[in-house]
Amino acid sequence: MIGKEDVLKLLKRVLERVPGPTELVLIGGRNELTRYTKSQIHQNVASQDYTVYVKAVDGKRIGVARTNRLDVDAISKAVDKAHGMARHQPENPYFPGLLGPSSYTPSETYFPSTPAFGPERRAEVLKEVFAKAGEHGFEVAGSFSVSEVEIAIANTEGLEAYQPATSAEVGFVVTSKEGMSRADAYSPDVDRIDFMALAERAISRCALDRDRIELPPGEYTVILEPACLAEVMRWLAFTAFGSEAFLSGQSFLAGALGERSMGENITIYDSAWEPGAPGLPFDFEGTPRKEVVLIEKGINRGVVFDRTSAAKAKTEPTGHGGPPGSPWGAIPWNLCMAPGDSTPEDIISSCKRGVLVTHFHYVNGYLDTKRALMTGMTRYGTFLVEEGEITRALANLRWTESMLRAFSNVKAISRDRVAYPLFGIGSVLVPTVMIEGFTFTGVQRE
Amino acid sequence: MEVKERLKEALSDLAREGGVTYADVRYLERETESITVRNEEVAGLSRTESRGYGIRVLYRGSWGFAASSDLSPEGVRETARKALTIAKASYLTQREPVVLDDTPPQVGAYRSPMEEDPFAVSLDEKLEPLFSAVRILRKDKRIQRAEAEMNIFRTRKLFLSTEGADIEQEIVESGAGIEALAVEGREVQRRSFPTSFSGDYAARGYEFIRGLGLAENAERIREEAIALLSADPCPAGEYDLILAGDQLALQVHESCGHPTELDRVLGTEISYAGGSFLTLDKLGKYRYGSEIVNIVADATIPGSIGSFGYDDEGVPAQRSYLVQEGILVGYLTSRETAPVIGQRSNGCMRAESWYHIPLIRMVNINLEPAPDGPTLDDLIADTKHGILMQTNKSWSIDDLRLNFQFGCEIAWEIKNGKKARLLKNPVYTGITPEFWRSCDAICGESEWKIWGLPNCGKGEPSQTMHVAHGTAPARFRKVRVGSGK
Repeated sequence: MIGKEDVLKLLKRVLERVPGPTELVLIGGRNELTRYTKSQIHQNVASQDYTVYVKAVDGKRIGVARTNRLDVDAISKAVDKAHGMARHQPENPYFPGLLGPSSYTPSETYFPSTPAFGPERRAEVLKEVFAKAGEHGFEVAGSFSVSEVEIAIANTEGLEAYQPATSAEVGFVVTSKEGMSRADAYSPDVDRIDFMALAERAISRCALDRDRIELPPGEYTVILEPACLAEVMRWLAFTAFGSEAFLSGQSFLAGALGERSMGENITIYDSAWEPGAPGLPFDFEGTPRKEVVLIEKGINRGVVFDRTSAAKAKTEPTGHGGPPGSPWGAIPWNLCMAPGDSTPEDIISSCKRGVLVTHFHYVNGYLDTKRALMTGMTRYGTFLVEEGEITRALANLRWTESMLRAFSNVKAISRDRVAYPLFGIGSVLVPTVMIEGFTFTGVQRE
Repeated sequence: MEVKERLKEALSDLAREGGVTYADVRYLERETESITVRNEEVAGLSRTESRGYGIRVLYRGSWGFAASSDLSPEGVRETARKALTIAKASYLTQREPVVLDDTPPQVGAYRSPMEEDPFAVSLDEKLEPLFSAVRILRKDKRIQRAEAEMNIFRTRKLFLSTEGADIEQEIVESGAGIEALAVEGREVQRRSFPTSFSGDYAARGYEFIRGLGLAENAERIREEAIALLSADPCPAGEYDLILAGDQLALQVHESCGHPTELDRVLGTEISYAGGSFLTLDKLGKYRYGSEIVNIVADATIPGSIGSFGYDDEGVPAQRSYLVQEGILVGYLTSRETAPVIGQRSNGCMRAESWYHIPLIRMVNINLEPAPDGPTLDDLIADTKHGILMQTNKSWSIDDLRLNFQFGCEIAWEIKNGKKARLLKNPVYTGITPEFWRSCDAICGESEWKIWGLPNCGKGEPSQTMHVAHGTAPARFRKVRVGSGK
């Protein structure tokens, strides 16, 4: 880590030489990842890199150049390149100029315990987990990563912003001769992860995944564990709640704000201040993050905006702008579904006949974005629930469903929510839900 | 070159460490330029330069990898030490040591073919065809988003190993595409050219982009997008299905390319991308497709983005069959995995950048055209009642690459050998070996084209790779089709 003082000093030294309005965004740090299969590490990597984005402004024209060299001369060359590009562009009538000094609501995103968890300590944890699974005749696959990054923004209007962040992610895929299961944890603070509890959860689920039967396609009550909803929310971030989806008319919220699209028990929002899943307090334009309600008790309330898309939509930016030069527009980075009042155990025990899905796989949300129609497979454990008990393991199923329809038929939501990473710098925070009439359209077979 | 000597020295130091049996280093410099024009604006325009190196070490049969952009003598030494420390940590869990094949170390150079350097073309000249195409797409108010995108890449690579490999490569890649999004009420339809999700790409210069004909095809694309708004939905049922070349490229990619990656087959992607139904016991005897199905991995085709001189562990580019006359006969391999099937690597290890470790990736995975195969018109004329689908819209396949569902942008019903009504929201689904066994016709050489895909994802940390697929349209009997739910 370079540190706040040195990073901002570097950026300001470059800004002293720039020929016109300029914004500099520095993103970078250290990432380490250990990967394993068959209870053995097979890939173990570390990398360190920083990127400086130069956003050069010429009236309403913007040019962006990036470099991963951190000396003043190299960044200054990128500045010249960016200004040269800006001059050759048509004006963007919606670009409101660079933001001036701003203040931010603090968010605790950096925990020194995380980057200190080096390759030896990760291997030690894994040895213990591999041994535990081995007691049951099972093997373990997965990955365990830690990262520390810093993000700094400075511009010629006097804006300065800095935030360090850490993240730890671990996944245990426990495999037997017949089946597999998975348990994941994600936290900015590695010390909050209980590795053995996670492993034991995956081991106990793997023991249930045997003698799989095929379920015929049709409509079923489903219990979707949090990992399933995380996949769905990742797609909705792009196809529904982002500024570009909204402005282009693809999103189901476009032209339909204030209308009901989901059941009264569904509220979806974006917040950088959820305990356990903190986000950056500003976006890549230095705009302070706002908490944004996207769906409130089933009613379409809004989407997120950066400065340019907000001008186009004649509204205020919400602090969700992406890195300079990105054509994606604003995207929610810390997407949350509001909790309910059940527990996952209560949800299973209240289910007369249904399918418990632990994970979705290879979801695609481009089928019909106006209906949030998606398809995907189940993975890492699919079970039949009868009279409140898991009774059989099932072969993986293909599902094809409108998420608007599914989220209109939610019968139970858990209190507890689980965080998953989103787009490298954000998170999704989602509960377990029970949905009636969910459509399975095929089965995995050879 | 000072950097090269520094990296060589780091490898020599590693080789002297007890327990180190192999090490290599890749140094990369990459420049990219990305332009997105959306409606009347430049929605994205950036130039990027990145340089750095990654060091891979094998310590007593366990891997370590560290990468850095710090090229100072101390930075390089520190990165090498880090790679070794990581390898020693990996060794703590070792059950089976890694053994590399006996590919001889290569010394050589490679440069991709290029007539016109895309980085030397002025920005104004690059923006002009994008704005021209977008203006044509926007001529109907129902096109709410008209987009044109261009990306160019230049990668200079140096590969050195403790075995004596010394390879320099320079690869320039270019590509572009356009997309029209038509919206009317609750109906949204999309049409793209030359194909969806960023267009078509080649390892060639700006001459490739000049030849794409973006503006020339914009009117047709706009009219098709508008027509889809009021088209009938694709009927549900079992139909004979003809896939146009661009959709077939994705079908080959997902249902043959990925499942023949030997690292997947051996389980190293099981926690992310998944496994494969093409298990080792099937090699040489499994009927993957009908007798007319021949699929080849070929990294030697000049100008394709799946081509190179040497892969990222220094193995020369090669051509080898994956499926021959419908039988599974090969995998995509690496120096680590090839010995498992008693072979030498066929050169498929590729890394997205200097800070990624190489993984087994697709090269050009091509469905060969049928000798004396029909033209697309002849194939349509030979089909009594079927559906023709073109250009991918959605994609999903299970973790073993068996159950797939693909959606396309556009389809036409075929009745009595003629293209009949336009159909919207076409989707088809199937089981991979059943699907390829139902292939009863592949068009000939005149219809065969290589499609460059710049966005193949795999691995943790996730890596995006440029791959390509040569295809000619083909027909599949009795496939389940529909229009979603």
